Amino acid sequence: MTAPLLQLDGLTCRFGGLVAVNDVSLAVQEGEIFGLIGPNGAGKTTVFNLITGLTPVSSGRVLWRGEPIHGLDPARINRLGLARTFQNLRLFPSLSVLENVLVGLHREAAVPLLPALLGSAAVRARRRQLRERAMELLALVDLADVADPPAGSLSYGDRRRLEIARALATGPRLLLLDEPAAGMNPSEKDDLCALIGRLRQRFDLTVLIIEHHVPLMMRLCDRLAVLNFGERIALGSPVEVRHDPRVIEAYLGPGGKG
Amino acid sequence: MPGLMIDASLLQQMLIGALLALSVYLPLRCGQLSLATPGFYAIGGTLAALLSTRVAALGAAEPVYPLSSVLLEMLLAGLLAAGLAVGIGSVVLRLRGVYLAIATIALVEILRVTTLNQESLGGAVGIFGIPQPFLAPEGYVVFTLVVLAVVCWLCDRLERQRIGLAMEAIRDDELAAACQGINTDRTKLVAFILSAALAAVAGVISAHFLNSWNARLGNFDASITTLAFVVFGGSRTWPGPVLGGLLLTALPELLRPVGDLRLVVFGLVILLGPLVVPQGLVTPERLKLLRRLLRRAQPAREANR
Repeated sequence: MTAPLLQLDGLTCRFGGLVAVNDVSLAVQEGEIFGLIGPNGAGKTTVFNLITGLTPVSSGRVLWRGEPIHGLDPARINRLGLARTFQNLRLFPSLSVLENVLVGLHREAAVPLLPALLGSAAVRARRRQLRERAMELLALVDLADVADPPAGSLSYGDRRRLEIARALATGPRLLLLDEPAAGMNPSEKDDLCALIGRLRQRFDLTVLIIEHHVPLMMRLCDRLAVLNFGERIALGSPVEVRHDPRVIEAYLGPGGKG
Repeated sequence: MPGLMIDASLLQQMLIGALLALSVYLPLRCGQLSLATPGFYAIGGTLAALLSTRVAALGAAEPVYPLSSVLLEMLLAGLLAAGLAVGIGSVVLRLRGVYLAIATIALVEILRVTTLNQESLGGAVGIFGIPQPFLAPEGYVVFTLVVLAVVCWLCDRLERQRIGLAMEAIRDDELAAACQGINTDRTKLVAFILSAALAAVAGVISAHFLNSWNARLGNFDASITTLAFVVFGGSRTWPGPVLGGLLLTALPELLRPVGDLRLVVFGLVILLGPLVVPQGLVTPERLKLLRRLLRRAQPAREANR
């Protein structure tokens, strides 16, 4: 059997005396949409930060196709094929919408220095190509009409989709979405759900997603893991998770069933 | 025109001001507040002073110091500063914000005190009789103008490359930039190296122009002045620091008719600048607007013909 695309093995993260993530193990298989849910402060975003190298791992391992990647810096991890969005939106506000996506195309934009400085025809053609590619990605998330203004001027929902386009530009195999539907109204949430499905098909993606909106997750995800106080309390299909007594207890409190 | 007294000497200082402003601007473009520019400026000046007065082969005895020797000094100073910047930068660039500023101020001070106490580097007296490649200040102006034009062209190209965009991304959000696969440490180091080499080259030109060099040139005051160039002119695209460097170097001289009040007025300009134009005089948006206005004016003029 081949190794899973992403595997967390006894992942633990301590901030001083606080254990934010405690001995979490799970495996994400290639091609699935895997959801991470749990009450506020359960450690979901910390798990994302551990995977993408923003927060150092206290103990345990993060395996990418069977190889350990914890301890690498975020840029290296991105280049392996993991791209993420941020819960509290981290666009480049002074750059234009198009430029934000072009930053995502950074690795693809590499050209030899001397022709680049002299602005040779080949380099100019390459630059045009990159802009077209960036425009395509913007069109996918319905932002092609607003490519020129600074990213800081976009509405909240537009910014969330721009973050997805920027992450896609880095050419990921695994897309990590941190609460992509936060602050969206129900119809926007439906659109987003459809968009994630489309993107998965088109780019042959695996998706790891954090979201609070449980009905959306039930619909979208192939499998779910539930975190509470840093521990994984459940793992399985949406139906299994929904009926897990520990999950019900975590969300509704003891004796909350019924 | 009484009051407007831009002679060649002032013009030369303005051009050097523009070069130093660009040196401060490069790290600032990726959000790194480095005040090391005067330190590398001093390294360039001291190196030029030492080489041209002590190495006879460079041609100090000739009636006019050869320009090729000046170019060689610029090359050596640029390389020396770049080499030092690699070593220093890989340590101090781990610091952020005001801590980086403090570390670079310390670097400038270390260099100043070392020069002051080292007889072989000129000591407290300094180095005199630095040979002249040009007989009149106008020669320096033309030469420095050419250097500035080349540097501006390079900056313009740099800003259009992916590294230019990466620098801006790092300034906006370093963490997010790293998550897009950008090697943020290396990008910041490249900016720091270019900044150091540029300052050293400006130091070489200045040493010849000033005819003497001592440890008081390139001190903490210069750190603040050069930073003011960029804050005032704008730190988002290269014409900003160039304009800031030219204007703010000229201002104290142009204000001479005001007499003793001139330093007060200069202080007011520095104070009000960031309040009135918080992003500096030149921003990419204003440049775009200017270009559009020029384009609109062009057909109108042709139609009038």
